[in-house]
Amino acid sequence: MSDRLVPVADDIDTGGHFAAARQHQIAIRRCNGCDAVLHVPVAYCRSCGSWDGRWESVEGRATLYSWTVVEHQVHPAYPVPYTVVVVDLDELPGTHLLGRLDGAPDLRAGQPMEAWFEDLTDDVVLPQWRPLSG
Amino acid sequence: MATDAAYDHRDRCAIVGIGSTDFSRQSGRSDLTLAAQAALAAISDAGLTPADIDGIVRCDMDTVYHHDLAHTIGIDNLTYWSQVGPGGVAPCGMIGQAVGAIMSGQATAVLVFRELNGRSGRRYGLSSQNSERVGGAGSYDELFNPYGMLTPGQVFAVIAQRHMIEYGTKPEELAHIALTCRARANANPLAQMHDRPLSMEQYLDARMISSPLRLFDFCLETDGACAVVVTSAERAKDCPQPAALIRAVAQGTMPSPQPGMQYPVLMRQSITELPARQVADTLFRRAGLGPDDIDVAQIYDCFSITVLLQLEDWGFCKKGEGGPFVADGQIDLGGSLPINTGGGHLSEGYIHGMNHIVEGVRQIRGTSTSQVAGAEVCLVTCTPLPPGSALILRAS
Repeated sequence: MSDRLVPVADDIDTGGHFAAARQHQIAIRRCNGCDAVLHVPVAYCRSCGSWDGRWESVEGRATLYSWTVVEHQVHPAYPVPYTVVVVDLDELPGTHLLGRLDGAPDLRAGQPMEAWFEDLTDDVVLPQWRPLSG
Repeated sequence: MATDAAYDHRDRCAIVGIGSTDFSRQSGRSDLTLAAQAALAAISDAGLTPADIDGIVRCDMDTVYHHDLAHTIGIDNLTYWSQVGPGGVAPCGMIGQAVGAIMSGQATAVLVFRELNGRSGRRYGLSSQNSERVGGAGSYDELFNPYGMLTPGQVFAVIAQRHMIEYGTKPEELAHIALTCRARANANPLAQMHDRPLSMEQYLDARMISSPLRLFDFCLETDGACAVVVTSAERAKDCPQPAALIRAVAQGTMPSPQPGMQYPVLMRQSITELPARQVADTLFRRAGLGPDDIDVAQIYDCFSITVLLQLEDWGFCKKGEGGPFVADGQIDLGGSLPINTGGGHLSEGYIHGMNHIVEGVRQIRGTSTSQVAGAEVCLVTCTPLPPGSALILRAS
């Protein structure tokens, strides 16, 4: 691969998320001043005023928050049907991330989800989510 | 705490002219020609000439700039211009800019317009991503597009799914929004769906675009333009048409709205609320009115679910009860809140919120093709996401 859309993985505010993905880690931006979750990632903490933050790895476990099965194709690199999932992190409830599943699998709200890591190019790894197996 | 004391614009300005082009799938005209045609129609309707216009407000996503339009139709003494965005959030806020310009003496007659070749030109429903590397530079697209999250319809589909999870909202309930707008369009010769009735069976049988949203949950891609002329309430008395007084305007956002154009709203802790509640609080306070005072409303309807969420967040029904509210016929003619009486974005055309303002003025004038008897107060909302704007029109 990949003829898929590849994320800019070295953005100054979000690059840490993709750097962690290369190490097969899910990393979320946190404030060093008050531990607030800064998601989507931003440099400034609106809660305590700190500019000092860190990338914190979390366990790759989540629950399914919502989803859509895309059946009308809008981009040549994304043949339908496919499912976009929004998951809610177990360790940081209220923190959402996206994933993509092939086809239209049976899903239910709140079901457990696990992270996996998709190699898009030699240097870009995309964090992904799928139903917890077993 | 800021007060609105310095922003007392209640009933001080009015919309005195409205103009539209035809709405089609292929206008065969340039963006600039569409803007010029709607603008000239609005100026003529106001009993003015282009020489009388000294202000122009545009939408940030328009391709036509102020001086383009001024040059083309002969506005040679432009003293004020402004733009509002993003996109469909803009139109009521654009009217607010016109009101501010007039009340501060920066302009006396302001043209507010929106045009787009939304079907034959750039189609907002298709992904605009054509480079292989996506996102960065503050767009946050890198967290969404690589997963195939590529359009506004997909964002609202995820929101609709979540509303169904939390409140048990049903497809048949969303259908009532599409069917109601379609019925109004069937009475409106200007509407793209004028000749196309829609049944519940057709709605449910239509193909799924992005579940749970089907074809008729989506607005129409439209080529067309709308424009209005705003002036002072005092000067409006000299105009030929009955004035639609601007009772109040408001813009607003919500706590922690998330940055970016649209996708990051999926990172909000709750995705089933729009900023409409905040806009409603401000607008109703400025207007000295409440939900019970609204006779008719034009509710921003890029998608059916967008209407459902706004009905809840504007206080017309309780949170989570939007489905039963619309299924009970409350948004139909004769209901407690008739909406989108020209057919709305779902069935008249998608002029990115501006056709809702034009239809609102028609209701105040008593000239709508689905006139609400005795309508004196009309709400117009542009509260999809991420932020929103709205206004209330009143008969003089």
